Amino acid sequence: MTDQPAFEPTAEERAATPMASDQTGNAPAALTVAGSTAVAEPLVLRNELWAPADPNAYEGGRPAEVTHLAEFGATQAGRRDDARWSGILEVIPTKADLVLDLLRANSLWPLLSGLACCAIEMMSYATSKNDVDRFGAFPFRASPRQADVLIVAGTLTTKMAGPLLRLWEQMPEPKWCVAMGDCTCSGGRYKRSYSTVEGIDRIMPVDVYVPGCPPRPEGLIFGMMKLQQLVKDRRGHWPERAIGPTVPAGV
Amino acid sequence: MATQTPPRSDAPPKAPAGTHPSADDPHVLLENEYDFYEPIPPYPPRTEREAEFYTLGDGEMFLNMGPQHPSTHGVLRVVLKLDGERVVDIDPVLGYLHRGVEKLVENADYHQTISQVDPLEYISSLFCEWAPVTAYEKLLDVEVPRRAEYIRVLSGELNRIASHALFMGWFALDLGGLTPILWSFIERDEIVEMLAALTGQRMLFNYFRIGGVNGDLNHEFLSRLGDWMSRAVGQIDANIALLNENEIFVRRASGLGVIDSETAMRFCMTGANLRATGVPFDLRRTHPYSIYPELEFDIPTRTEGDSLARYLLRMEEVKQSIRIIDQCLDKMPDGPIMAKLPRLLRPRPGRAWAAVEGPRGVYGAYAISDGTDQPFRLKIHDPSFIHLQAVGALLPGNLLADTMAIMASLDPVMGGVDK
Amino acid sequence: MDRALARRLEARFETVLHGPAKGRHDQTEVRIGAGDVQDVLRALHDEPEFHFTMLADLAGVDTGTEMQVVYHLWSSTTSDWLRVIVEGLSRDDPRIPSVTFLWQGSEWMERETYDMFGITFEGNRDLRRIYMPPDYTSFPLRKDFYLPDDAARSPGAGVRHVERTHSPVDAAPGVVRRTSA
Repeated sequence: MTDQPAFEPTAEERAATPMASDQTGNAPAALTVAGSTAVAEPLVLRNELWAPADPNAYEGGRPAEVTHLAEFGATQAGRRDDARWSGILEVIPTKADLVLDLLRANSLWPLLSGLACCAIEMMSYATSKNDVDRFGAFPFRASPRQADVLIVAGTLTTKMAGPLLRLWEQMPEPKWCVAMGDCTCSGGRYKRSYSTVEGIDRIMPVDVYVPGCPPRPEGLIFGMMKLQQLVKDRRGHWPERAIGPTVPAGV
Repeated sequence: MATQTPPRSDAPPKAPAGTHPSADDPHVLLENEYDFYEPIPPYPPRTEREAEFYTLGDGEMFLNMGPQHPSTHGVLRVVLKLDGERVVDIDPVLGYLHRGVEKLVENADYHQTISQVDPLEYISSLFCEWAPVTAYEKLLDVEVPRRAEYIRVLSGELNRIASHALFMGWFALDLGGLTPILWSFIERDEIVEMLAALTGQRMLFNYFRIGGVNGDLNHEFLSRLGDWMSRAVGQIDANIALLNENEIFVRRASGLGVIDSETAMRFCMTGANLRATGVPFDLRRTHPYSIYPELEFDIPTRTEGDSLARYLLRMEEVKQSIRIIDQCLDKMPDGPIMAKLPRLLRPRPGRAWAAVEGPRGVYGAYAISDGTDQPFRLKIHDPSFIHLQAVGALLPGNLLADTMAIMASLDPVMGGVDK
Repeated sequence: MDRALARRLEARFETVLHGPAKGRHDQTEVRIGAGDVQDVLRALHDEPEFHFTMLADLAGVDTGTEMQVVYHLWSSTTSDWLRVIVEGLSRDDPRIPSVTFLWQGSEWMERETYDMFGITFEGNRDLRRIYMPPDYTSFPLRKDFYLPDDAARSPGAGVRHVERTHSPVDAAPGVVRRTSA
């Protein structure tokens, strides 16, 4: 495909062309710097999509209660932006996680978040022929509060991105995310569409990518076994995980 | 962020400032936590229907069944207006799976259409391919070879059986039964492995081509098909008996979501939902296409119009589909499976409409060509989209627990609804 | 093509049709203007010699110069599909009367056409967006709404911003982010 030179339209051009396109404001996200070949910053949507009723909730200003760890709470690690209690409390369970992650790996409960066609293959992976119950993952929880894994199965549209992020935030930690299907890995066959998100790693951290359109249930089983391996290999170190369009090292 | 609107006149009074909320005074605790009332939706109503729906009557409340819910149709958001347990009105909110297929098709070749429209009704992908392909063949004035037509009908009817098997599983799941979906997935897995041997894919087959089909019948497909056919009728009868002989299922589903034929015609419903109300409209007989005139099969019709009738009708259609498959295998002619067409298709400028009878209803495609190698417009008419409208007429008066059951009985697929 | 149907249509609606009734394969096509929609479709629906009681599809079309709305109807009296093309809608403010008084099922089809094209259906009680979020400002299926792919081939190539994507192999090695506690 030939590279079209990108340039800023002048104010008269902007006024002259009727603005029916979706590129509102003519300000694309950090992409059209001329000559730049850097990978664009992933669009990480912070939780401005949803705000709690109480502005003081979710460490929005509540000071650290445990005084001897208040110093930790004041550091950057202790003040993370996703939905969790203040960062002090995460130090304590981390040591227990070394053992607990071994147990969690064999009982990863997915959230029912089938969006589109891949959901059918996810259901096929859950039913008798490709039984997922033998991995301990049969209970597909309807509520995110009870789920461990978010298997995003199906195309993510911009309208659904908000609710999906809300689901992800509502899941208690430790939580993992599996991008099932091409549409969630990279946008898939809908990459050039005006209403889809090109891969869910633009909005949430992904641990395992299962490509395919749709991936066979055996493929999803392979992906989940990789996730189990990942959970066991990184036990106790869940907070230090990669966020962004990367493939985690050592997996 | 929530806008601060003044509390409603009937809201409980706030606790005086400075007092500790008492643990055993729920009013005070609640009032301190939720002291704002955000109207749904968070903007003034813009249409007459929105104003009618989003105005609460006495004792009514809104319940949001959000885009993620345990029902298996997909991402559908339904705002329910409830009076206690009874549904007064519903407002389905679509678009959570809108992928812009029609726009993408306009920017691609004619052949690439097939892979783009596959995931619309992902459970019955072959019908999603069939309609646009037939429309393009009308634009090109191309005649499909008879063997290809027979293979299309054969694979289509297999897909219909798989789709109805899934319907049975989901309908029971939404009524609370967890076993039938496991049984129906066994059946679906067998059929889908068969189709994978034929087309290469378990779902989203990408099998039909403009002028024929992609690959001929092969040994693995035929051996799996023969193996399955020898067990098929018994297996299907067992699946149906599992539900039909379950008193809870029958009593819950009968009388649920009754539609009469005038309402169904007014809502432009087609397919099994229309046939369950007594109108014997099936495109395979009323407006025959492909080689259906040469095949012998019946069109089951029922008159009750409730969910049980829709379910029983689809199960009878499965048996008719097996009859059709038998005849296709008997009468399969020899010959090519693709018409001779140039690689780069440039149909003459014109318009063509084609409709096929999918498992959910009439699946149509309206194609406009402007003489170039890209389609000018492809409009897909999806039956699930139409049937979801009728839910608004069916749900009021029913209990909340029946909401998803009625929706499941109409068999919508959100990929098709949202395109 | 059902020539008897074409003759009946031309005889009944000769004052409002824009040209003769055409057809090909199993479809008959007539063209009318926006003002005649309600009369023509009501006649097609109610009169026993036509009896087009089933609306199969309601589509919007943007031809580049004008907008059209296309209805596909089915009747038990004929073996053809009938296509009614309502043409001549302007691209700036397309308005057309709604047919929800005949078929309540056309309400959502008209909503979809409004969402994708911006065509206003007068008489539709619920004309709001159905696929795109309610605060979306564009109409995606219009011909002046460009996807990044076809912007490069459009007459406006280079004038509007095109989302440039970069392949990951070009990325500098230090760009990948890792977070740590």
